[in-house]
Amino acid sequence: MKTIVTFCLGLLLVVTAPAVAGAPGPMETLRVPVNKVLALLKDPQYNTPEKRKIQREKLFEYTGDIFDSVEISRRALGRNWRRFTPEQRKKFTELFAKILKKTYSRKIQSTQEDYKVVWLGEKKTSPTRAVVMTKVVRPSGDFPVDYRMHLKNNRWKVYDVMVEGISLVKNYRSQFNRYLVNKKPAQLIALLQKKVDRMENE
Amino acid sequence: MNKKTDRHALIGSRSLAALMVVLLALTGCAHKRTAGGPADMRTPESGAPSPAAQVVRVSSSSATPAETAGGKADSGAAQATDDSEFSDDAYTDDEDFLDEDEDTEPAMDVPDPLAPFNRAMYVFNDRAYFWVLKPVALAYRKVAPKQFRLCVKNFFYNIAAPIRFANCLLQGKFTSAARELTRFFINSTVGCGGLNDLTPLYPDLQTHPEDLGQTFGRYGIGEGFYIVWPLLGPSSLRDTIGMVGDIFIDPVTYFNTTTIGIGTRALDMINLTSFRIGDYEAIKDAAIDPYEALRNGYLQYRRQQVSE
Repeated sequence: MKTIVTFCLGLLLVVTAPAVAGAPGPMETLRVPVNKVLALLKDPQYNTPEKRKIQREKLFEYTGDIFDSVEISRRALGRNWRRFTPEQRKKFTELFAKILKKTYSRKIQSTQEDYKVVWLGEKKTSPTRAVVMTKVVRPSGDFPVDYRMHLKNNRWKVYDVMVEGISLVKNYRSQFNRYLVNKKPAQLIALLQKKVDRMENE
Repeated sequence: MNKKTDRHALIGSRSLAALMVVLLALTGCAHKRTAGGPADMRTPESGAPSPAAQVVRVSSSSATPAETAGGKADSGAAQATDDSEFSDDAYTDDEDFLDEDEDTEPAMDVPDPLAPFNRAMYVFNDRAYFWVLKPVALAYRKVAPKQFRLCVKNFFYNIAAPIRFANCLLQGKFTSAARELTRFFINSTVGCGGLNDLTPLYPDLQTHPEDLGQTFGRYGIGEGFYIVWPLLGPSSLRDTIGMVGDIFIDPVTYFNTTTIGIGTRALDMINLTSFRIGDYEAIKDAAIDPYEALRNGYLQYRRQQVSE
């Protein structure tokens, strides 16, 4: 009897230990902030232009640490990352993150259609990598959105988003690659800076 | 009467086909690649080769990260406190992010020999969207209630079922073919001639829309090269040939006069656009090089479709 109890306790420990010690799973990590964002976007109190700014701030607050901007930048540059000095990499990451943040927050704030997110599940591709699969359901048609995530400092972070099979990172990589064929990293940084300035003035 | 006008429509498609052959001969580079790839740019929603909507379609695909996830791109600025991440030591040398299977580059290995022409066509399509299609679609959206627009969309999707059905068969996807057929019959009857789509009630009937370009891709035919058509938007050599082939099984082609045929396609395009206003703008906004963003988006999207 005693041995059975010990065995069960032991089994329990083995089963629960990783869950306690480890980070919440990729899908859980994502679900909480995404649901918060969806609620925020549906909240009617943010319908005025001034309130929209507050809404945007909150949006950034909720999503602040689910994206790994360094990894996104690194992957978006691909092999070209090596051509950048550490300072340039830092500057690039900062500007690129700003551009993504600005353009996409503007876009989701202006989406009027009613939609919801269905969580389809997660798939571990390695102990430190996973894909979280979701589907956006809306009247004019559904589309799949997959998040590629990796475990960094014991937290799951998004490093790529795939919409209908189109990878955001790969899409930018092809643009940056093309640009860097005959241009220097400094020129790309200047171009991004110009884009950021323009967006801030709008 | 009907026969005569059919011929009209067919002549149109035939000359297009001829043009394609000439193009193929001129460039001399056909399908070398073996892996699957994008096919024509029929929109999954419409099933019909709805011209400019395709630009928008692809746009919407790439832009939608915006709607869902994109908005959450975080600030590198805020968290970039630990500079070690930016140094070379942070990563081992073999990490080039390109070594994983998920990281093959679809756009880079599809040649773009017509780049100057394509870029010009991109600009043309961009103007056509902002100056004509968008204002028209906006006006249409104002007068046409959403329910009506959804019915129009469903109708066009439903009527293009023969294309999807035939291509399912050509790809040996018999279950999907059966689904397409069932879906077509249910929506055409209970769904009032296709005005209502009842598939949300029957998830089993949902399919990935197939087309000839995808069928070619399945057969191992590569994209050939990238091409941008005026109004029709991004395509590839293979997908263009596929699109021409699909025109022959598209019931809209056999609508009784060319004028009605063109009018129908225009309605389809405007109707679809009315659901996607803002998508193309968002991509363009987010892009460093919108031409390249669309090209890559199109090629990734088509490869995904072929693989499904």
